[in-house]
Amino acid sequence: MGHEPLLQLNNVTVEAGGKALVRDVSFTLVRGEMIALIGPNGAGKTTLLRAILGLVRYRGKIVIGGRIGYVPQRLQYDRTLPMTVLEFMALTLQSSPVMFGIRRATRRRALELLDHVGATRLARSSLGGLSGGELQRVMLAGALHGAPELLLLDEPAAGVDIEGEATFLELIHRQVHERGATVVLVSHDLSVVSDITDRVICLNVDLKCEGKAKDLLTAERIAEVFGGHKAVYGHHHHH
Amino acid sequence: MIDIVINYLTEPWQTTILLCVVFACVSSGVLSPIVVSSRMAFFSDAVAHSTLAGVALGMLLGVGSPVTTMIAFAVIVALLIATLRQYTTLALDTLLGVAMAGSLAFGVLIYEKVRGYSDLHSYLFGSVSLLGTEDLMFLAANAVLALLMVGLFANKFLLVAVSRPLAQARGLPVARYEYLLIVVLGLVVAVGVRAVGLLLVNALLIVPAATSRNLSRSVAGMFWGSVAVALTAGLAGLFLSDWLDFAASPGIVAAAVILFLVSQLLRPLLGHHVAE
Repeated sequence: MGHEPLLQLNNVTVEAGGKALVRDVSFTLVRGEMIALIGPNGAGKTTLLRAILGLVRYRGKIVIGGRIGYVPQRLQYDRTLPMTVLEFMALTLQSSPVMFGIRRATRRRALELLDHVGATRLARSSLGGLSGGELQRVMLAGALHGAPELLLLDEPAAGVDIEGEATFLELIHRQVHERGATVVLVSHDLSVVSDITDRVICLNVDLKCEGKAKDLLTAERIAEVFGGHKAVYGHHHHH
Repeated sequence: MIDIVINYLTEPWQTTILLCVVFACVSSGVLSPIVVSSRMAFFSDAVAHSTLAGVALGMLLGVGSPVTTMIAFAVIVALLIATLRQYTTLALDTLLGVAMAGSLAFGVLIYEKVRGYSDLHSYLFGSVSLLGTEDLMFLAANAVLALLMVGLFANKFLLVAVSRPLAQARGLPVARYEYLLIVVLGLVVAVGVRAVGLLLVNALLIVPAATSRNLSRSVAGMFWGSVAVALTAGLAGLFLSDWLDFAASPGIVAAAVILFLVSQLLRPLLGHHVAE
């Protein structure tokens, strides 16, 4: 892990309708680091990611030192749309329309990206027929295009079975080690992320705590961040 | 039947009609998958209805050719809907319903004053048998425009169709592409309505891709299937209407809808999962 900062947030505030969704958040992420951004639902985690992606207005300063790859939270999409995984990948890999054919170079690159996430066998599958875990892999493969230095993963484990979740996190871990990627992993479920991340940032509109997972995650802290709900620790609940 | 087809290929005025129908079908057939995937079916309907007000307005203002006001009005209504959509909490279908009812009522009111009621029929159903060289030029331009749109931007439109937030996150200026699609649809619909009528334009923008979606698993299948359905319906409707002596426009629409029903019946046989 280097010490060169890749992502710097200074007093970032996002407001909507006069209400702060994220207030005065500052932190720095160095290259090769993997952090978890945790907090209960509605704590502003996704909003903060959207601010980093430049999709919402914010006050304060965000400095990003590289390309971003983003895997959205359990993607809502039109499952009836006829589209193969390969075509989906090709949408961003080639400029000529996918219906006029997928270029050889596109196919090679798409298969390579899918191979990174162990999903080559899905290339011909229909996007609408994928399971939650398969979809997350395909989304990760898509996000890896352009060799992003910073990976933003929004609740990557939501809607994925426990076994799929473990392998998915393992995949992300591999990205960090093999490619030196820097990762922000958003989760409302601490047990999922505490083992594999270097650092945990707790958010509930404000920044509540920051530090190594094991040092920080005392019962009081959790109670403070999650407003007394300890259920988030060591336990799954999907929405 | 064969002699009807031969006439269409040899009689110049009939060949013009045939080419008009082919161009109308090509432009709708290539745009249909985008319209249907982007859930713009009702939108194109609303824009189509607004063209009447455009024509009527043109006549009222005494503009040389109502085509100009018609296209301009359609594009303005399209942009208005797109803009209102950003600033209202109303659902899109509600907004479109209001736009459609409003522009149709407005259009009919002026239309009656300036021209009498009789021409409404040709506005709704087109007058395929009266299509001439000028229509051919417009429809050819339409087809070129539609092909250009697909050739240049299909991947972007499809990415937005899969997921708007994902497209945004991948750095696509989503709103800009939506406006572009809306303006082009406004143009294509306005020109189409003038030549072949409101009913046919709408049907051909929606039914071909609705049909091919039933039978395909890939974007390529949906796209080429849509073009094939539009052309098949266009030609079958045209020839059969001559043979059985009924109006071509509703004939083409009926042919397209029959193809859709067949695809719906075939769908389970292909083992496609039922839409959730």
